[in-house]
Amino acid sequence: MTALAVRDLHIRDLVGDREIVRGVSFELTPGKVVGIVGESGSGKTLTCRAALGILPEHFVVSAGSIEIGGRDIAGLSDAEWTGLRGSTISAVFQDPASYLNPSMRVGAQIAEVIRVKKRASRREARRRAVELLAAVHLRDPALVYEQYTYELSGGMLQRVLIAAAIAADPAVLIADEATTALDVIVQAEILDLLADLRARAGLALLVVSHDLAVIAQLCDEVLVLRDGEVVERGETADVLHEPRHEYTRLLISEHEQYGLDKYLEAVDV
Amino acid sequence: MSEPILRVADLSVSYGRQRVLHGVTLDVEPGETVGIIGETGSGKSTLARAVLGLVPASAGSLRVDGSDVTRFSKRQWRAFRRRGVVQYVFQDPLRSLDPDLTIADSLIEPLLVRGVARAEAVARAEELLGRVRLDPDLLGRLPGAISGGQRQRVAVARALITDPALVILDEPVSALDAANRVLVLEILRELDAALLFISHDLGSVAGIADRVAVIYRGELVEDRPTRELITAPAHAYTRLLVSSVPTLRSATSDRAARDELRALLSA
Amino acid sequence: MLRRILTLRAGRLAVGILLVVALLAILGPWVAPDVPTAKPLQSLSGDHWLGTDYLGRDVFSRLLEGSRDSVLGSVLVALVALVVGVVPGLLSVLLGRVFEWTTLRLVDTLVALPFLVFAVAVTALLGNGLTQAMLVTGVLVSPLFYRVTRAATLAVAHSQYVEAARISGASIGWIVRRHVWAKVLPPIAVALAQTIGVGFIIVSSLTFLGIGVQPPAPTWGGLLASDLNYLHYRPFAPLAPALLIMVTVWASNLLADAIRDVSGAAGRALVDARKVAAR
Repeated sequence: MTALAVRDLHIRDLVGDREIVRGVSFELTPGKVVGIVGESGSGKTLTCRAALGILPEHFVVSAGSIEIGGRDIAGLSDAEWTGLRGSTISAVFQDPASYLNPSMRVGAQIAEVIRVKKRASRREARRRAVELLAAVHLRDPALVYEQYTYELSGGMLQRVLIAAAIAADPAVLIADEATTALDVIVQAEILDLLADLRARAGLALLVVSHDLAVIAQLCDEVLVLRDGEVVERGETADVLHEPRHEYTRLLISEHEQYGLDKYLEAVDV
Repeated sequence: MSEPILRVADLSVSYGRQRVLHGVTLDVEPGETVGIIGETGSGKSTLARAVLGLVPASAGSLRVDGSDVTRFSKRQWRAFRRRGVVQYVFQDPLRSLDPDLTIADSLIEPLLVRGVARAEAVARAEELLGRVRLDPDLLGRLPGAISGGQRQRVAVARALITDPALVILDEPVSALDAANRVLVLEILRELDAALLFISHDLGSVAGIADRVAVIYRGELVEDRPTRELITAPAHAYTRLLVSSVPTLRSATSDRAARDELRALLSA
Repeated sequence: MLRRILTLRAGRLAVGILLVVALLAILGPWVAPDVPTAKPLQSLSGDHWLGTDYLGRDVFSRLLEGSRDSVLGSVLVALVALVVGVVPGLLSVLLGRVFEWTTLRLVDTLVALPFLVFAVAVTALLGNGLTQAMLVTGVLVSPLFYRVTRAATLAVAHSQYVEAARISGASIGWIVRRHVWAKVLPPIAVALAQTIGVGFIIVSSLTFLGIGVQPPAPTWGGLLASDLNYLHYRPFAPLAPALLIMVTVWASNLLADAIRDVSGAAGRALVDARKVAAR
């Protein structure tokens, strides 16, 4: 069964009266990872937001459809959305600190998700929250549970947010530039964690990034988005080996000329 | 060989009781590009600030272009900076260019401060715009009216206007899109000046640096030619760093090695 | 700057009104009709356009006569506050720790001083007169300017473009002229407009204590205060001085807003857009 299906999605900006996203399609099945690569302003974040039902004020889905767990989301009521978000589809974004309440212990915020979504008892929710903090590879999860956002680093906050996002066992997790603000080493830790979650829980992932290399680490399939249009798509390995669009070629040549790839390829041969 | 343009010897910097840099030694030869890599809070930006005289050294010495600047007074620093031997490019050009000044005014500031006549300075600015692939029409605009990529090229041109021997760049391409990243790196590669290229991202430095120095918790742990450092990193931190940089090759094979190094470093 | 202000309708209106007020201040005492004292507390009439006060003096001519001291007084207050507040406010951020600490403590002290006691003490020392009284008042409102300037400067001084200028060897004077001034001017202008308004009131309240302007010399604030005592006989009387004060203060605020609107990059864009729209 498809966990998330986006078909020929168009998103229109009512104020600017322009189509910002034109014809994006992809399907996520359990355990599958799809990547969207594109610059800021290419429409990748709007696509994610449409799938979560949280498009900004004056943007609307003007054509196409989105199905979550086989159910068309057009015309879902607020209450139905609340039931869906978290327990079926969930997301993490670039700036984890702004999604957490600074005046509440981070563990309590995860426990709250569990209590609401899973109708768990207070004690049970707490136990689960500590388990989740351990599952996102935080050392000493019981201590982190008691801490506030300002006591944690950016990488730790992103883990906490991932723990909260997977607290209600969603089928789909969207990671929108989730590692962009992090140092390279922490970024690799988060990417490894996402790979683990997919392998262990069969989570379907939608990974969005401006960096093709980040996508290459994780994704089975990649969409290259430019100015709202998919200019290239395919199995990740195929796209990397035989890019057809000029923009994809630019992204690849950047890594080959200026990135680590320049040296690593020499090693391989 | 001529004297290095920058000679950092056993430099330590402390903020209050906290020691941020500890015994860093580094030479930069004229025309050389050296990458400085480290994570947030590693002390890499403090090194740049010390070279610019924005933070005092608590021990060790700094020589720039043959002058010992370690104990310079405020006045000496001002006179030294006006010579324009060392210039600096910030990460975010939107914040490093005054929003109220035209591109021309921002570009020529380092010359005006030195007392160069405006007409002469503008002529030099026009000439430099060509080198960073920008249209002279831009001179009359405000920073808010041009794109991020154009702004960063303006910032690079501003740094070049005094014909510096050393340009320090702090994450100069991190805020740019792919096309502009490539363009700025291309421009930087053409320069004659020595470059000190500071970044948390080994990937963005690897392509243009002759040498890479790795700073970890305030100490310089490895300083070697780029190819050597990437293909055969010695220090555990460098090894983890190299295996963490995302590349186009799928990196699942490095996973076990990464986990091992993480355990080693956190011990 | 002035040219840019004049592109705005509000700016033209403000400058126009303030010019009239200035003219009033300069010419007022000369053109004031020399009307002999008549029956006290008369209503409006052809002889006495605004009636007479409790001593039978012509209110209209007293308003005109009082305009010089009133306007001069409040402008003086603002100027003193500007010099004593703005300059240290700028330098407290740019000049280093010692100067910063010293000025901050001085300002704390000024804020803690009881206004009237200080005013009486200074006039006792320097003599009694409008200038001395206004100097005192200016010094006492200067903490407002110090703080406004300091806050605005703090935001700018830690910006990267100021650091970039410093790395190029720019002096503090250069940094202030080139980068800081345009950003701190709008909040200062707003504070200035407020101070001009407060100045009118202070001039009159000091007159009450016999400090500054000596009765029977008239001021707008003084007229307003004395009219209020005879509200029962002449209920409309406070209207004229109150209106004059209100319009002047309003025009000052309008000017401050216009300065805010046209300064900086956003202001330049606004003015440009209007020019395009006008074509």
